[in-house]
Amino acid sequence: MARDHAVPEHDSDIRLTVPARPENVAVVRHVLAALADALALPRAVTDDMRLAVTEACTNVVRHAYETEGTIDVVVRPRGDAIEVIVSDEGRGIGPSPDTAGPGLGMPLIAALADTFEVQRDRGNGSRLVMRFLRSRSTPAMGMA
Amino acid sequence: MTRPESPTQVSIAAGPLVGPVLRRVVGMFAARADLPLDRLDDAVLVADLVAARAPAHVVNATVDVTLMASPRAIDLRVGPLRPGGGKALVVDAAVPGVGNVIEQLADGLEVETEGEQEFLRVRLAYAGSD
Repeated sequence: MARDHAVPEHDSDIRLTVPARPENVAVVRHVLAALADALALPRAVTDDMRLAVTEACTNVVRHAYETEGTIDVVVRPRGDAIEVIVSDEGRGIGPSPDTAGPGLGMPLIAALADTFEVQRDRGNGSRLVMRFLRSRSTPAMGMA
Repeated sequence: MTRPESPTQVSIAAGPLVGPVLRRVVGMFAARADLPLDRLDDAVLVADLVAARAPAHVVNATVDVTLMASPRAIDLRVGPLRPGGGKALVVDAAVPGVGNVIEQLADGLEVETEGEQEFLRVRLAYAGSD
């Protein structure tokens, strides 16, 4: 049965605030999956968006806080794109002295998102703004 | 689960995405709370009813729900709602021939007042969890 997937912009903002713990990254992924189903997003867009946002949230979990904090995720379908903003109130996105990693997260996000911007405010957290075009039919990195 | 869970907050613009998003989040929290399958289904049904009825009673243009999972129980706090909105939301969940679904499924149902705003707290648990 055909569905009308056009959702008015003012009806479509989603905000999710979760404790910055690894298990809650899955909650964010589920919300994105629900959004993708409701809007009938192409599989390529859904996969890229979920992977990029997973990386962004994982960055917050690993690097943003010394103890506990939150991940704030805002999803905004806007015209021909989905805008996702991942923010924290900690020391910001980037390597921390107490955790090591290959440093692939940000380059991966840059490759997966159509546009991508980091707004850092050291000591007051950071915002990662990603946009994904709805019209894309192939994954950004050919990882279908 | 070894650590107490901090609340999760979800805010969805009142519109067609409330149902799909809220049922997913509530279903996930019910699974995390280790509720058995029948109670997980009940939790999703309550989420669907809240998604369908709450937009008529919210203060702002968003449906806001705070979720807390604990061993074998989840708590939903819906609101802010308009004055009288807590009770109205429950009343609106009545289904002809079935009765009030939220009242029948919830283990705890309470309207909290903060100033001129109301919040509906719904608890779903597995029998014997307390």
